[in-house]
Amino acid sequence: MKADNMLAKLKDILSAERHAQLEKYASLKKVLKALRDEKRRLEWVLESETNDAAQHEISSRLKVISKQRRKGLKVLQELKTEREKTRK
Amino acid sequence: MLRKTFLPVIFLLLAYGFTVSADFKTITAGVAIFLFGMLALEEGFKTFTAGGLEKMLRAATNKLWKSMTFGVLTTAIMQSSSLVSVITISFLSAGLLELASGIGIIFGANLGTTTGAWLVAGFGLKVNLSAYAMPMLVFGIVLVFQQAKSLKGAGYVLAGLGFLLLGIQYMKEGFDSVGQTIDLAEYAMTGYPGVLAFAGIGIAATVIMQSSHATLILILAALASQQISYENALALAIGSNVGTTITAIIASLGSSTNGKRLAVAHLIFNTVTGLLAIGGIYQLMAAVEWLSRYIGIASDNYTLQLAVFHTIFNLLGIVVMLPLMSVLVKFLEKAIVADEIEIERPIYLSGGPGDIRDAAVEAVRKESIRLYDLAAGVIVDGLSINRDVLVSEQKVKRVVKKSTDVIDEDIDDLYERKLKALYGAIVEYVINSRGGYSDGRLKEELNAIRQAGQHVIEAVKGVKHLRKNLNRFMRSDNQYTMKEYNRLRRLIITVLREIEATRMSARESKSALSLDHLKLEIEEKTREFGRGLDDLIRKERIDVQTATSLMNDISYCRETCWDLVEAGTVLFSTSDLDEKIAMRTIALGEDEIVEMMENPDAEAAR
Repeated sequence: MKADNMLAKLKDILSAERHAQLEKYASLKKVLKALRDEKRRLEWVLESETNDAAQHEISSRLKVISKQRRKGLKVLQELKTEREKTRK
Repeated sequence: MLRKTFLPVIFLLLAYGFTVSADFKTITAGVAIFLFGMLALEEGFKTFTAGGLEKMLRAATNKLWKSMTFGVLTTAIMQSSSLVSVITISFLSAGLLELASGIGIIFGANLGTTTGAWLVAGFGLKVNLSAYAMPMLVFGIVLVFQQAKSLKGAGYVLAGLGFLLLGIQYMKEGFDSVGQTIDLAEYAMTGYPGVLAFAGIGIAATVIMQSSHATLILILAALASQQISYENALALAIGSNVGTTITAIIASLGSSTNGKRLAVAHLIFNTVTGLLAIGGIYQLMAAVEWLSRYIGIASDNYTLQLAVFHTIFNLLGIVVMLPLMSVLVKFLEKAIVADEIEIERPIYLSGGPGDIRDAAVEAVRKESIRLYDLAAGVIVDGLSINRDVLVSEQKVKRVVKKSTDVIDEDIDDLYERKLKALYGAIVEYVINSRGGYSDGRLKEELNAIRQAGQHVIEAVKGVKHLRKNLNRFMRSDNQYTMKEYNRLRRLIITVLREIEATRMSARESKSALSLDHLKLEIEEKTREFGRGLDDLIRKERIDVQTATSLMNDISYCRETCWDLVEAGTVLFSTSDLDEKIAMRTIALGEDEIVEMMENPDAEAAR
C-alpha cells in the first residue's frame, strides 16, 4: 500500500498532465472558497440591510453566487473523477 | 547588399580556415559548441523558471539598487547578459518596467557578466573540463526528453552547461596546439595603436558571435596559451564589452520606443565605459596589478588579472554613469520620440511574438485594455455623452438627462482608424505567437484575451447601429421616445461604470465573477424595456415605425452590454493564470442567466 502511494506520488511529480490537473483542481477550489466567503459576507450584510432596493440588489448577487458555486462544484467533481482515473 | 553577402563571406572564410589549419577547426568548433551551450542554457532557464523570472523581475525593479542587483545576480547565475537584456527589452515594451529600472538592470548585467571571466580564469583553464562536461551532457539530454516542464528545463540547463564546458575545452586545446606550430604573439601590437586595433577586433568578434561571453572565453584561452599579449587581451575585452550591445540593438529593432531607448542606453553605457577604459588603460593596468597583489593573485597569472580588469572597468563605468542616470533618461526621452498616432498602432506588442511567453501574454492583455479604453471613449461619444461620465461621481440618470446635444464625432472614422487597426495588430500578434506556446494555459489565456478584443469591437459596432436612430430621435419632440433612448444610454453607461469600478476594485480575485451580476441586470432591464415598449404602443404614445426601431435598438443595447461585460471579465481579472481560467470556467453564460430569470423560484429553492 505504501509503495503504491509512493508510486502515485512519483507519478504526480513526473507527469506533466497530472501537474496541470492538480493545478486546475487547486485553483478551482481556491476560487470556490473565495465565493463561499463572499456569499457569507453578503448574507451578513443582507441581515442588517433595511433598504428595499439594496436588499433586492444583494439578494440577486447572492443568487448569482449560488449558481456560480453550483457550477463550480460540478466541475470540481468532474476533475476529481478524472484525476482518480488518471491515477489508476 | 551587406546583409546578403555577409553570411557567404563568413562561410568562405571559415571553409578556407578549415583547409589551412586543423587547430583553427578545433577552436571554431569550440566556439560553436560554446554558443550552442548558451542557447541551450537560455532555453533551459526560460522553461525552468516558467515565468518565475518574469515575476521576480516585476517584484525586484521598483528601486534602482534593486534593478541593478537583479541584473548582477541573474546574469551571474544564467551567464548570459544577452538573455537578461532581451527579457528587459520585452518587459519595457510590454510597459511592465520603467526606463530607469531597465537601465539599472543593464548596468547590473554588465557587472554580472564579469563573473564568467572569473569562473573560467579561476577554474576552467586549470582542470580537464571535458571530464565534467560529459556526464552533464548525458544527464542533461536524458532529462530533456522528459515530459514534465521542470525536468525538461533542468535538462536544458545541464546540457547547456555541459556544452559550455566542452566548448571551452576545445578552445583551450586548439590554442595549446596552435602554440606548438605558430606564434600568434608575434602579431602583438604595443601602445595605443595596439589598444585601438585589438579593441576593434574585440568589437568585430563579438558582433559576429553575438556573445561577449564567447569572445571573452576565446581571449582567456588565447591568453592562457600565450598566443596574445596581456595588453592586447585587455583591449580585446574592452572591445567585446562594446560589441555585446549588438544583441540588445537587434532585439530593440522591432520593439517599442522604450525598448529602443534602452538599447541606446546600453550602447552609450558600454561605449563610455569602453572609452574610459581605453583612455586610462595603463592606469587601470597599474590598479589591477596593485589589487591582484593585494588579493593574492600571482603577478604572472594574466588570466585572473584579466578578470580583475574586466570587473574594475565595468565598475568604473557604473560609478561614472550612475549619477548621470536621470540626465541619460531625459536625453533618451528627448532623442527618441514616439511617433504621432494617425492610425492606431500597438504600444506593447513588439519584440517578436512569443519570445518571452509570460511577457507576451501580458503585452497582449495591456494592448487589449488599451483597445477597451479607446472603445469605451468611442462608445460614450457615440451615445452623445461627455467622456467624463466614466469617472464622474454624478448619478448616471442625471448625466444622461442633461446630455441633450448630439456629439458630432465621426465614429466610423475612429472605428476604422483606431479600433480596427489596433485589433488587427492584436490578432496578428496572437496568431503569430500561438505556435510557440507549448504551455496550454498560456495559449488558452491568449485566446481568451483575443476573444475579449472581439467583444470590444462588437460592442462598438452595436453602438454604431444604435447611434443612427439615437441621433435622429434626440432631435425629436416625442418625449416618450427620448425617454426610452435615455434608458438605453443609461444602461450602457451603468455597465461601463460598473466595469470601471470592478477594474479599480481592491478585492481583485473576485473581479471576474462579480461581473456576472451585471449580466443578470442587463437581462432584467432589457426585458423591462421590451415590456415598456408594448405598453407605449398600446397607449399610442409612439408610432409603430419608431417602436420597430426601438426594438432593434434594445437588442443592440443588450448585445453591446453583454460584449462589454464579457470583455471586462477577461481583461480586468488580475489573479494568477490558473485562477483566471478557473473563474472563467464557472462564470455564467447567457443560457444560465436566462434560466435563472425564467425559474427564479427554482433558483431560490436550491
